[in-house]
Amino acid sequence: MICRNMENAQKIQHLYARAGFGLSPVEWSRRRGQSLDEALQDLFSKQNDAGELSVPALVISETTANNNEVLQKERQLVAGIGIDWLHRMADPAGNALLERMCLFWHGHFACDIRIGLPAGQYLNTLRRHALGNFRDIVTAIAREPAMIRYLNNQQNRKERPNENFARELMELFTIGRGHYTEQDVKEAARAFTGWSSDRTGQFIFRRLLHDFDSKTFMGRTGYFDGDDVIHILLEQKQTARFVCQKIYRYFVNEQPDEQRVEAMTEVFFADYDIARLMRYVLESDWFYEERNIGSKIKSPVELTAGILRQLGVRNSQPAALIGIHRALGHVLFHPPNVAGWPGGKSWIDNSTLMMRLQLGAAFCTASDFDFALKTELDEQERRFVRKLEADPDFAPLEALCRQVPEKEHFDVLSSFLLLPDVTRHRSTLEAYAPAGTPQERIRHLTARLMSLPEYQMC
Amino acid sequence: MHRRNFLKSSILASTACMVPSFLSHTRPAGSLWSSRSGKVLVVIQLSGGNDGLNTVIPYEDAAYYQLRPTLGIPPGEVLKISELIGFHPALAPLEKLYREGFLSIVNNVGYPNPDRSHFRSMDIWHTASDSSAYWTTGWLGRYLDHACAGKPVYHALEVDDGLSLALKGELSHGFAMSNAQRIQRAAGHRFLQAIDTHPPAGDHNVAYLYKTLRETRQSAQYLYQQSKVHKSSVAYPDSKFATDLRQIAELMTADTDTRIYYVSLGGFDTHAGQLNRQARLLKEYAEGVAAFAEDLQSNRLWEDTLVMTFSEFGRRARQNAGGGTDHGTANNVFLIGGQLRQPGFYNPGPVLSNLPDDDLVFDIDFRSIYAAILDRWLEADAAQILQGRFELVGCI
Repeated sequence: MICRNMENAQKIQHLYARAGFGLSPVEWSRRRGQSLDEALQDLFSKQNDAGELSVPALVISETTANNNEVLQKERQLVAGIGIDWLHRMADPAGNALLERMCLFWHGHFACDIRIGLPAGQYLNTLRRHALGNFRDIVTAIAREPAMIRYLNNQQNRKERPNENFARELMELFTIGRGHYTEQDVKEAARAFTGWSSDRTGQFIFRRLLHDFDSKTFMGRTGYFDGDDVIHILLEQKQTARFVCQKIYRYFVNEQPDEQRVEAMTEVFFADYDIARLMRYVLESDWFYEERNIGSKIKSPVELTAGILRQLGVRNSQPAALIGIHRALGHVLFHPPNVAGWPGGKSWIDNSTLMMRLQLGAAFCTASDFDFALKTELDEQERRFVRKLEADPDFAPLEALCRQVPEKEHFDVLSSFLLLPDVTRHRSTLEAYAPAGTPQERIRHLTARLMSLPEYQMC
Repeated sequence: MHRRNFLKSSILASTACMVPSFLSHTRPAGSLWSSRSGKVLVVIQLSGGNDGLNTVIPYEDAAYYQLRPTLGIPPGEVLKISELIGFHPALAPLEKLYREGFLSIVNNVGYPNPDRSHFRSMDIWHTASDSSAYWTTGWLGRYLDHACAGKPVYHALEVDDGLSLALKGELSHGFAMSNAQRIQRAAGHRFLQAIDTHPPAGDHNVAYLYKTLRETRQSAQYLYQQSKVHKSSVAYPDSKFATDLRQIAELMTADTDTRIYYVSLGGFDTHAGQLNRQARLLKEYAEGVAAFAEDLQSNRLWEDTLVMTFSEFGRRARQNAGGGTDHGTANNVFLIGGQLRQPGFYNPGPVLSNLPDDDLVFDIDFRSIYAAILDRWLEADAAQILQGRFELVGCI
């Protein structure tokens, strides 16, 4: 076999599956010779490189806010940012950990955005702070025009406070349900009055709308503003615990382990350094326990980013990618609600499972995709899922296979493509790969391995 | 829901003027036999926002023609059903159902603080949430959760490749297939069968995927068999929507173990060039439904069938500059079936002299219709499923 230390290779694969979007054939082959420490070092090597995206200019203006063509253009800009982001997730030369953290924070600070400029700004804010300090990311999100719009904080005024943002800040972004009172929500809302955005899509503090009076929040009294509220929330250990629980469930296992989460909380509470917390998790032995490996159902975005990366797909029809995400229930910048995507088994019903099982094979064969999207809600927004127009590159996979005798192709491909063990399917899969040139068999075997339910796991 | 408005409309609804007079005692009871296995609900979704004001037309109201100088349907073309209102000319097949007492029209259906985004408003209709709340389960999905334990996954069946939010519950889901043969071809593939002979052990996520796969394969096979039991002898028009309805009728006739069917017809987002497009779509809708009704009647299933047609919103009362209409608010909902308690018009149509921002004002909360369907037709606990109490519309 290619690598002597199978167990170590699997750990690295697990690491990159969870903290990135899997490995390309070239990465996979290179990392099999690495130690886990080296792989971890690589993963964190670009942690300070946010690689911000260019933000599109506003198309919409106050006078065109109801113009369907303009709204349509803005929606396309948002979709374009999403596709751009997806390709970054898939890019082996990219910053896998950063993209993964951003996807996590996008689910945590869930925000539905239909206009290009605020979508780009929001994603850049996540990129700047994804591996930085939690305090900075919360403070920035509270000033993010997209979030201000989404949670109605532009309507939060001294005379008539709107509690939406303040409530979600506590319930979903920091401390979690059951650790604050309704009075705390009211007082926090007062502290965020006047935090608004202007017509160019920038944050603006409207002094005249702000309540400068004294507030009593979580047992403390003072002339608090929004930053003070965030500060008080972060002084509560429960906030560190709440975020650690979420990180554990997302990166490690859907079933939280109280002891591990408590240990994480100790680390995080010290200074809210996100990169330090992630290092702690990814360097711990328990992260690599067998029950954590291949036990999570991939989200649709993970699934497609992983396919693109493994098959070296650089070009495919953007409308098809978005259509796939829509059909599978995971469109970037369009979470179902402020709680984000529920994930896990909720991704799966009979239709999404069938589509998922066909997806890898469709990219392998660059074939049209046999799935009709639901009849259009908006006639102007026709989407075509059928035309994938993908350009998979099998040369790196063939190169991997050439290093072993043909009868071992199954072993190489299955350990490259999947984390769970699928040897019990070996004879079935080999029987289904028709006779032909080795190249043809490699393609077929790859497509079949991607059609296994196990391929949905990471 | 504005209770006062509801009462007002209920009172009006109970007066004889709302019921076509020829219906009062002409309809023979028990003329259409019941099926063996009980009631069926069919939900028809008109996607894109059907223009209700050009569907059921107040042709005697001058304000209607002022709001719609070029889009208004001329009185001479309207299919008049009273001295005030009539149907769009493309709805002739529906007019027949109306005259037979098989159609009930609920006007001005909506919800407070309407949302004009297709996706958001559709989600609100699917989940039955308030417009300020974001729920992740559908009203029929919660019905499956609460009242259908132990039923097969195709107890609720959507005729589509994807499953709508309406049919997703916390614990249970409906089943989606656009076509029985097509899903059998995909799910019945020998490869899937072969890998399903080696499912993994245990109770974890992979096992859940295999369980869903097996369920899908078995359901596909069952539905495919059922789809071959009976071939309809009724002539359906040549459209995808009619084909979907024929498939439903054939499954129903084969006594398939499905109680809820869900089907969509899209393209109603008529911002421009509305006249032709809406006419074509309404024709497709009405002809399909009429054939469906005829089919079920000839198979003695009509009395056990209730069809609800809705759209995510109506359209702006005032036409726009492009020969179309923009996203609006309240709309009409059609209830069709052989056993309506109160056919005809349930409540009066919109008052065109009272249009804040050119929008129709809702007076019946859509959840009152859901509540009546759940309570009276599906015999479930509507308050629990809708997570709130709504007055039941009386036509079911």
